[in-house]
Amino acid sequence: MATHIASLRKLWALHVLDGNDIHLSLKELYEKLSNGKSGCYWELFEVYKHLKSLGYVVGRHGIPWSVKGQQIKSGTCSLEGSQESNEMLELEPKDENSVIELFNNMQITDVSPAFNVYLPNSKFRKSSPGDPSFVLYISRCSPSSRVEIEALEIKHGAIPFKFCHVENGRVSFFSFAKTELPILP
Amino acid sequence: MKPRWKGKGSQAKANADPMSKIVSQLQSSLIQSETRGLLSSCSVLVEVDAELADLLNRSCFGRPRITAQEDKQWFQLDMEEAFYLCFSLKCLKVIGEDGYIKSNEELWDYLKSKKPVFPVSYKVYSHLRHKNWVVRSGLQYGVDFVAYCHHPALVHSEYAVLVLSEGDNDLNGRLRVWSDVHCTVRLCGSVAKTLLTVIVNSNNQGANSPSCLEHYTVEEQTITRWNPERSREDQTGPKNGTKKV
Repeated sequence: MATHIASLRKLWALHVLDGNDIHLSLKELYEKLSNGKSGCYWELFEVYKHLKSLGYVVGRHGIPWSVKGQQIKSGTCSLEGSQESNEMLELEPKDENSVIELFNNMQITDVSPAFNVYLPNSKFRKSSPGDPSFVLYISRCSPSSRVEIEALEIKHGAIPFKFCHVENGRVSFFSFAKTELPILP
Repeated sequence: MKPRWKGKGSQAKANADPMSKIVSQLQSSLIQSETRGLLSSCSVLVEVDAELADLLNRSCFGRPRITAQEDKQWFQLDMEEAFYLCFSLKCLKVIGEDGYIKSNEELWDYLKSKKPVFPVSYKVYSHLRHKNWVVRSGLQYGVDFVAYCHHPALVHSEYAVLVLSEGDNDLNGRLRVWSDVHCTVRLCGSVAKTLLTVIVNSNNQGANSPSCLEHYTVEEQTITRWNPERSREDQTGPKNGTKKV
């Protein structure tokens, strides 16, 4: 277990502070995630990590980027150089915030969106994030029905949304888009 | 998704010869010749002359059967194709094993007995054909149909079509689990087609007669896989320094 954690550390280093400003080891982090309220923090974390390591800006849906006095800095992620180099994903939370806090009270439900995602090179600014490139839902059991998807289309309007399915450590993303084939001549 | 035409001149050929016109010619020709189809298990066989054979080929209905006859050709029509010619285009009559012409209701009952999902499957077939898309069996791709914007000789098919039903009568059972979504999308991608699901809602009309069909509603949906490794560029402009993995 220790070697495993060590090699993971090399791949990406995540500095996490818990509520008491105590530095958590990766093992402690994993443990905390597995014991999340709804037991689903691990999947959320997998998705979050996957997108962040590719340079996407990922925020929790429904939570503002800048909160008075408690700024969550969505760290810089360098895309230059390959993934062999240490990509530092630094979250510098202040006060009580931590990665755990980020996922606090999150539940994976098929009906509530998990994350707002922005493209890596988009001109993202916390002070005015603008609309996300897409909203991400994490699907657990089965793909959503047409009725459910239609409700989401109405809810999000012009902002696209995608579904993410996590299984066996594999993170896959799908788009379900309403369409209408044209009438041909 | 833009159509992928086969070779130079195909698009021009297709534009000069719209599918709606070819189908319309087929319809007139069948009516004029009072062609009768023979019901045989899950197909309808028709005997046609050279002119009709050419129209059937150009409009992509049926498959020619090899026979020793020189002046006439036999074509084998799928259930949906046959019913479309009978019921929607009203240009073909089908004779049963008893030697009598089958009414639309009788034909409907017969085809339903052979294929319980026929009502929903037919709704999708006719929905796409009405829009002048060429619709063929998608069996070799693990889907229900493949749809082309013109003749397969001129263009590659863009869509792999799956028939799904909503409401009281969900007999198809595809894409109920994520593994099936993964599988189907992957297969479609490997044959350069987009997965198109056409969801039919019978609106509690049942399937007692073909007249129920007009109350069915249809929704189209594409399902595609998004690859975050390939989509990192901001679509609005070229960026420097982003290394693609």
